[in-house]
Amino acid sequence: MAPEPALRLRGITKRYGAVVACDGVDLTLERGEIHGLLGENGAGKSTLMRILLGLETQDSGAIDRDGRAVTITGPRQAAALGISMVHQHFSLVDPLAVWENVALGQSGPVRRAAVRAGVRAAAERYGLAIDPDARVGSLSAGERQRVELLKCLRRDPAVLIMDEPTSVLTRAESAELFAVLRRVVAAEHRAVVLISHKLAEITTATDRVTVIRAGRVVLRRATAATTEAELAREMVGREVTLGAAVGVLPHAPAPAAPASSQAALRLRGLTTRPGLDDLCLTVHAGEIVGLYGAEGNGQKSLGDVLSGLTVPDAGTVEVAGAPVDLRRPGALSAAGLGIVPEDRHHAGVVLDLSVAENLVMTRLGDVSGRVFVDRRRLRRRARALADEYGITAPSLDSPLRTLSGGNQQRVVLARELSGRPRVLVAAQPSRGLDVGAVEDLYARLRRCASDGIAVLVISTELEEILALTTRVATIFRGRIVGELPTAQADAERLGLLTGGAA
Amino acid sequence: MSTVAADLETILSSGIRLAAPLAFAACGEYVAERAGTLNVSVEAMMLGAAFGSIAVAGLTGSATAGLLAGVLLGALVGSVHGALSHRWHVNTFVVGLVLNALVLGLTSYLVTVGDLGRHQVAQVSVPGLRDLPVLGAPLFVERWPVYLLLALVPLTWWLVERSRWGLELRAAGENPEAADMTGIRVNLRRRQALLWCGALAGLGGAYLAVGEVGSFNQNMTAGRGYLVIAAVIFGGWRLGRTLVGCAVFGLADALRLALPALGHTVNSQLLISAPYLLALLAMLLFTTRQRRPGALAQPFRRAS
Amino acid sequence: MTRTGAWVSAVIVAAAVVLPGLLIAVTGGSPAAALRALIQGSLGDATAVSQTLLYAAPLLLVAVGACCSARSGAFNIGQEGQVLIGALAGAAAGLRLAVPGPALLVVVLLAAALAAGAWAWLSALMNRLRGVDIAVSTLLMTFLAQQVVAFAVTTPWLLQESRLGAAAALPQSNKLPSRALLGSLGDHPGLQLNLGLAVGIVVAVLVAVALDRTRWGFRLTMAGLNPAAARHAGISVTAVGGIALTVSGALAGLAGAVLLTSPLSTNRLQPDISINIGWDGLLVALVARNRPLLAIPIAGLFAVLRAGGNFLAATGVPPYLVDVVKALLTLAFVAPAVLRRRSVIA
Repeated sequence: MAPEPALRLRGITKRYGAVVACDGVDLTLERGEIHGLLGENGAGKSTLMRILLGLETQDSGAIDRDGRAVTITGPRQAAALGISMVHQHFSLVDPLAVWENVALGQSGPVRRAAVRAGVRAAAERYGLAIDPDARVGSLSAGERQRVELLKCLRRDPAVLIMDEPTSVLTRAESAELFAVLRRVVAAEHRAVVLISHKLAEITTATDRVTVIRAGRVVLRRATAATTEAELAREMVGREVTLGAAVGVLPHAPAPAAPASSQAALRLRGLTTRPGLDDLCLTVHAGEIVGLYGAEGNGQKSLGDVLSGLTVPDAGTVEVAGAPVDLRRPGALSAAGLGIVPEDRHHAGVVLDLSVAENLVMTRLGDVSGRVFVDRRRLRRRARALADEYGITAPSLDSPLRTLSGGNQQRVVLARELSGRPRVLVAAQPSRGLDVGAVEDLYARLRRCASDGIAVLVISTELEEILALTTRVATIFRGRIVGELPTAQADAERLGLLTGGAA
Repeated sequence: MSTVAADLETILSSGIRLAAPLAFAACGEYVAERAGTLNVSVEAMMLGAAFGSIAVAGLTGSATAGLLAGVLLGALVGSVHGALSHRWHVNTFVVGLVLNALVLGLTSYLVTVGDLGRHQVAQVSVPGLRDLPVLGAPLFVERWPVYLLLALVPLTWWLVERSRWGLELRAAGENPEAADMTGIRVNLRRRQALLWCGALAGLGGAYLAVGEVGSFNQNMTAGRGYLVIAAVIFGGWRLGRTLVGCAVFGLADALRLALPALGHTVNSQLLISAPYLLALLAMLLFTTRQRRPGALAQPFRRAS
Repeated sequence: MTRTGAWVSAVIVAAAVVLPGLLIAVTGGSPAAALRALIQGSLGDATAVSQTLLYAAPLLLVAVGACCSARSGAFNIGQEGQVLIGALAGAAAGLRLAVPGPALLVVVLLAAALAAGAWAWLSALMNRLRGVDIAVSTLLMTFLAQQVVAFAVTTPWLLQESRLGAAAALPQSNKLPSRALLGSLGDHPGLQLNLGLAVGIVVAVLVAVALDRTRWGFRLTMAGLNPAAARHAGISVTAVGGIALTVSGALAGLAGAVLLTSPLSTNRLQPDISINIGWDGLLVALVARNRPLLAIPIAGLFAVLRAGGNFLAATGVPPYLVDVVKALLTLAFVAPAVLRRRSVIA
């Protein structure tokens, strides 16, 4: 009799309001295999894993562990069941030592000597060199990843979940990680779920692969029996040509001779610690430049600088040829740079202010006298913007938090474009939006470019980059490591560049 | 014995007695703050416990029972604070100030309408050691609960630095999101830390009433809870330095009380202000040497 | 508001009403008589109403200031100390400056506001330089303020009263000249409407308009609700917070000057001149959910409790129960606010 699978998910469904995050997902995980879970951001991978860890409860469906039905109430209990996760967003506590962080993931009395010895032994066995007494806050991203992995392995899990583990790693580090994982499944007979949206990673490192799209399983196959092209097609849901960059989506018009036109945005030597390392990039009027790279390579820091949230340690931002004083709040906006930030709830909008107020907040002067805000002018302007950008709201006076994600995004876009900027930066613009909202957004970004605005799209989605941009720059560890016209870009070349090999 | 030595002995004795309630409560506040709660209701914990200890001592005839009641009352205040700020996420400063006002009002009323009488725990003196010059009387002739500190301080240290509970509550105080990911029940740990804080602050308040003074009077803690907060800040969120802070504050108070009687003029306002000044200066000057919990006074709610 | 929130509020409000009554009954008093006394002493006749309105003025001023700082995200809880500093500066100005005529009153009020504003601004400065938590530093500085005032009124070369003859000087200042005192508004039989209340209401309305209608108020609200978005929109969050904190301190200081120059005090600076108005005013703002106009009736309610509480003491019931009522009422209004998944303080 064949042994029961380590983990079996049956018909897992999870809804958030009207949005179905997981729709009847089946997934079987055998011992001794690395199972790839492939999907775009927002496809439902994270929700599925949060359910496995007990951070969310499924609306329907069942989970079997070694053939026995289980109910998972939280990460602790998941660990007790032998399910453990290495997080994409680190679950480490900086001021604590490595061994303390490892101990944190375990249970029972804290035996300092035993944990430290254990860390050393595991480090030895897996070849993950780490000093158990080092403070986690002083470690590099790669070292932190090792601590995460050790913390996880110390729980002796039967099922190991890796969520985008290579996003902050170099190619060499990634190769090392996959070697460790191979040993973990082969020698120790564990099962590994490798969550990723990188095709190359899935094809080289996994035994079987499951692709999910919009919350549903669309493909389940032995990795050897599939191809990158097929995986890409299933992941995105339409034909994606990887060799030549001719997508099904209409492409942006060819760049209007960037060399001759004016540099609208020029980043010179931007450095933030941590985050950016001497980043230089130029965007011309009328072109859409993509900044492509795996998550965690400085995109967030760049977004923070361009939102005016952090002042870089070194470097300048020039808009239309004039350097901007980044220490002054709002200077970028005044200089003609609009931005749709990655986390719009953080810096893009104020959820408890009204829709109308959010629409005018960067250009308050336009709707006020010297002292007083003119409510009538404010509402008139907001109404005009809402109509122009197709924002559906119960009322312009209701708090912004009552709007859908797509409409919130439109509010940000409308507001940032209302200042007639020379530059528009859009960071991970399609994240969290439904398909219709994405199409609408892409159309607006293209129109911006044809109106002569310089557009910079920061994205981790290859598809988005290929569909939208005229030129692509790749970012790795806070630097630009490659730049080429999108027409010459393909997954392989970009993959190589984002791996930092170039 | 020279007069200087005698004066010193008097001041030391009184300093230790004044520092002891602070030290008990500081052991509690230290734990609460390491878990991420800036607990202003430590004043309410101490005051409620001081009242309760005398009241229960009167009812039972046992000062020790009173002490115990103080511990329980302090913990009760801690559990209320915990429920409000780590279940319902009310701002911790608001909770603290309101609880302080509530307990001050209640105890003031109750002490006015009833006569609680006098109750005091026994004094012990350690034979031999009590005869040491200068240090003998201050250290070895005490109301017995003082010596609980000898066990509670190491216990507090061990709980925070060495136990799993302490590791988890430190994680909850430093980075609640990461702690949550790891499977730690952040708000539960914070509520538990507040219970510990309440129990120890209660012990401090009860010690003040049934230990040192032997009776309860209106607002008898008179802001000692705020001194405890100042001590933890002065100590840079390290237990040893926090206790040094308590000792310094107790001594400053003793000097204020003793010096005029000994014929010295003294600026009492400066001595009363010293703890708060020192706490502010510590925050201004020693930021790098501090262990301020990363999520101090920030409520935790899981983002969905 | 969620249902649970409404329930919690209802239970606490019930406790605020029932618990004091129960306590009075258990300790041998009559709750009904106490309630009658409370109302008699605060609203019973013209004198009682006058007394209530006297208390309402400084409470309102403190609360309006607290609305500003809390809305900006710079949470000030040191109003008690700022009231004291205001009274101190007011007394110093009133006793030392040779300003002719009633202009002296204006100088006293201005000095109080300026000094207390500067005192509160120190917390903003410490926050800016070293990241010292504003709530913590304003709290600690309250205890410093108490000692500064105590020092001033016990030091002959500062503000301690000058006495001729042998009598020992008390820890208080000289009496302010009568031209520096707040007079009554109009002439009503029995009812005295102190100018202080007019000042309070005017300030409340001005601040309400400023917060809700001006660019300054919009920026301040934004900084409190979402500092990152505010910065992106060109707002210097630290500067806005610093100004809000200073305004909040200045209004608390103004309350201190009102205490000093109205019949609520002996018109001398004394160490206990603040009579907990700072703490209570903060509670008023919390109950009013940081809305200055709403603070007007709430300050009135708290003033009723205060004046009534004093009268209660005359009937033999200790007035402290009133503090219990105030604390529980605040709790009732604060707890459910957060159950709506929003924090009370920005």
